[in-house]
Amino acid sequence: MLKKKVTLKILLLLVASDILETAIHFFFKKGALAQGELLVVDLSSAIVFLKAVFSSPFLWAGLLTVVVVFIIWSTILSKIDLSVAVPIASFSYILVPVVSVICLHEQISVLRWIGILLILAGVILVSLSSGERTEQKK
Amino acid sequence: MRAGLLITLFMISLTSLCDTINQLFLKSAIDSLNFGGKFNFVRIFKFIFQLLIRPRVWLSFVFSVISLCIWLLVLSRADLNFAFSADSMHYIFIALASRFILKEKFSSLRWLGTGLLVVGIVFVSLN
Repeated sequence: MLKKKVTLKILLLLVASDILETAIHFFFKKGALAQGELLVVDLSSAIVFLKAVFSSPFLWAGLLTVVVVFIIWSTILSKIDLSVAVPIASFSYILVPVVSVICLHEQISVLRWIGILLILAGVILVSLSSGERTEQKK
Repeated sequence: MRAGLLITLFMISLTSLCDTINQLFLKSAIDSLNFGGKFNFVRIFKFIFQLLIRPRVWLSFVFSVISLCIWLLVLSRADLNFAFSADSMHYIFIALASRFILKEKFSSLRWLGTGLLVVGIVFVSLN
């Protein structure tokens, strides 16, 4: 009943979803940055902010990418378990900070990189535990 | 600054929670289709059409929209690299939901990995 076998095709779909996922967050950040002067303090200013962001082309580029990722992700989830798919789709945890530094000129401290690496280590352990379960079943 | 950080983390956990609920509805809808076999364009479109007529997919969609709105507010006040790293807390929600709602089985190694994620998020939030 459990679906665990990660084929090359599924792996390629997961890599594509990683790259597109990074693009989504880049677009969304760009969309949110375009409204830089707007200070959100309460619900009404939040609505004004969201109205402004939803008129940004970056947001719509992001949403279009979301639709593509949704299609890819639906296909992946029909083939393998959520608990196997999610960990492998996680290399965007490295991709997003790298894109943040290169394209958005954000600063990342050593401590934060350590945190990012710990998160990635956690994700890899989670992936390994899925593999371990597969071997036990054989 | 510290209060601001706590509010940002709270908003990120809200968006993560909405995202987890969205994924659960989506996974449950996909499982109910029993879609197996080979990929091809016709089958993928048929699959997506069958999905779109499931009410659970629309519930999933509603939670995505809520999650997106909160996420955009988070991005307006935090660096992308911090927000995205902290958003990994959805793994913790997904781990708990996979285990207790979808009844997927996993080992102690899986829990150790989830624990590392928690420590990682704390480190990312420290500066």
